[in-house]
Amino acid sequence: MKDPDSEAQIPLPCIAPDSGAQIIQLPARPKNLAKAWPSKTATNEANAKPIAKRSRSKNLWYALYFPQLRELDSTQQKKYLDQLAGHMQSVSSTVSLHPQALICEIRSSLKYFSGIDFIHQKLQRPIEKQLQQWNLADDFFYAASPTVSGSLLLAKSGKNVLVYRQENLRSALGQLSADVLDLNKEQRRRLLNMGIRHLRDIWRLPSDGLRKRFGSNFVNQLNTALGIAAEPTHNYIPPPTFVASYDLPYEIENLDRLLPIADELLAQLCDFLRRRDLSTSSLLLSLFHEKRDSTVINIGLRMASRSQQHLTLLLETHFGRLSIPAPIVAIKIEVRKFDAFFAKSESFLENEASNSTHYNDSNLNQFMERLQARLGENYVKSVSNATQHCPEYASLQLDYKENPNQGSPAAISTEVSANPRPLWLLQEPKQLNINKGRLFYRKPITIVSGPERIETHWWSGIDVCRDYYVAREHSGSRLWIYRERNGKRNWFLHGFFA
Amino acid sequence: MTTNQNHSDTQLPYQNQYQSAQADPFHGEGSSDIDELIQSNPKLWRGCDMAGQGMHGRSTGFAQLDAILPGRGWPEKGLMEIITPHWGMGELQLLIPLMRSIVEQGKWILWISPPYLLYAPALVQAGINTEQVLMVKLDTSCKDALWSMEKALQTKNCGLVLAWQNWLPTKVLRRLQLAADTGDTLGVLFKHHDSEHSPSPLRLKIEDSYSENASFNESEVTVIKARGNFRSLSTNINLYQQA
Repeated sequence: MKDPDSEAQIPLPCIAPDSGAQIIQLPARPKNLAKAWPSKTATNEANAKPIAKRSRSKNLWYALYFPQLRELDSTQQKKYLDQLAGHMQSVSSTVSLHPQALICEIRSSLKYFSGIDFIHQKLQRPIEKQLQQWNLADDFFYAASPTVSGSLLLAKSGKNVLVYRQENLRSALGQLSADVLDLNKEQRRRLLNMGIRHLRDIWRLPSDGLRKRFGSNFVNQLNTALGIAAEPTHNYIPPPTFVASYDLPYEIENLDRLLPIADELLAQLCDFLRRRDLSTSSLLLSLFHEKRDSTVINIGLRMASRSQQHLTLLLETHFGRLSIPAPIVAIKIEVRKFDAFFAKSESFLENEASNSTHYNDSNLNQFMERLQARLGENYVKSVSNATQHCPEYASLQLDYKENPNQGSPAAISTEVSANPRPLWLLQEPKQLNINKGRLFYRKPITIVSGPERIETHWWSGIDVCRDYYVAREHSGSRLWIYRERNGKRNWFLHGFFA
Repeated sequence: MTTNQNHSDTQLPYQNQYQSAQADPFHGEGSSDIDELIQSNPKLWRGCDMAGQGMHGRSTGFAQLDAILPGRGWPEKGLMEIITPHWGMGELQLLIPLMRSIVEQGKWILWISPPYLLYAPALVQAGINTEQVLMVKLDTSCKDALWSMEKALQTKNCGLVLAWQNWLPTKVLRRLQLAADTGDTLGVLFKHHDSEHSPSPLRLKIEDSYSENASFNESEVTVIKARGNFRSLSTNINLYQQA
């Protein structure tokens, strides 16, 4: 089959002038919401026969269109729409996301909310608030009609319209400018050249001719808008959340006695995660007290997990250093962030398993988590070497992280000076005394080797001008000492070779 | 250097068998394999002074020290105490070959509140991958430090746990020893003073062997107690080979 777009010169079959669709002027309604009430006179004629067959559509789709989201990139847009969809879930269980627009089905909830006006009022406030929070314009367009695409087109056109019946949809859509259709540049130009400004102009054209000229997507787009063709939608699925709480029958002061209950809740959580094939890396544990603010423990995991044993151990460690201000009356576990679960396969061969004990595997992560849970976040450090000439800056102490290169990628290296460096460095260099003409720390000092001259950091104000020596104290320690080259030319102890 | 030569005449006959296993006409070719198997088992009690005997230890990297340690090296697991009058007497130099081998195994070294800043360039110079070195900060409370030591010893990922604790009750030491056994980990406690009744299976003391005419470089390392040795032995070692 040839591409219909490439054959621009196909003559359109003639159409009879009297077969034009009847256009209904939607009666204006207060509150900016024009509604097309089903009128007896508006029953359709010959042209709308396929629609008439299913005139009683079961659905009414309420569309919200946000023109202000157009400038945002797709991930940002998705994020915003996801949050707005959360608000829409309060009026309908069937919400779907579209580019810059949200759609929900409201026919089933019309009776409950006693009318579309109330539904709109219910949605308007939180959505406006949310948009203001993101520093976006807080206006949006809305429309409702029996088809998804129809509602979208109506909302896009900026007319806040309600079309109840499918047979009225054709005329309502006919008033819209052809610009609202999702077309490419070439198709747009062609429509313009054909003198088509409104959708009603398209209604007058035969569909197989249109199909040839504009492709089947174009015709499908119109058919779905009119409800002739089916239109599947992807329902919005809210992100999973896990909240489990337990009211204690009596107050508990001893955290050890709370553990079995917490364990029970964790079992629920792990079950929840297993059913959804998820794992979690952070959970919030709240302990409620009578007449006091609750104690909240935020438990973060280095690697997402869903092992109950691991979580229980972590909790136990957290409890170990927790002091509670008052007896506990209730406990709650809350998880909002989830990660996909990645199973790790065991090695088939025994030897391979023992070789693969890499330092970064899950066992170690669990151990490090417990260590940090007990000691505090910044008590566990990793050391790394930095390419710095100045001895004080050549060693970095970083908080232990998953990837030590994240923090300062350029600074870490394995290049070191060829001269001896001590294993231990003093936080502050310690001035050495001279006793009877000999250097003296705890006992007299003899210089073994040196000097190594280090001159650096003149640019930062602290001018480092030192001659370093390896020295030996008469008690057996090996010292790293230096003599200042400026000022008083004092001797300092800077490290131990340990 | 003191060895066990003067001791050997009063030894049980087993020891002679070990020493002359190859030459013994009553032992055929196959017996050397059996011998090797027996010697590499640290759990087998041989009823003799094990100093410099057996092969179940991990070489210390210092030949003189290997010669006076049971199993010719550091034990594979357990607790040991290193006693020095000051910090920085070469006690870390003594452990550097051990650290290197542990890092090569892919295991971690945990330093629990060392008295001074751990200096990374020196570790790199010694050939120790700093990515496998972790440190618990100095101002950790004693209770937390011991807790982390116990947990680290129980973890199989840690090959070596170093801690600076001057005085610990016997009960705590036993607990740490048990933890080290479950995790197949070697724990090292650095102390200033020796306690005679410590349950640790290995106790070392480093002292200065400085005298006016001796060479500057040597330190006196005394094995006060080692599981398998009959008495304390000492040797002089140059600990600062690189410096």
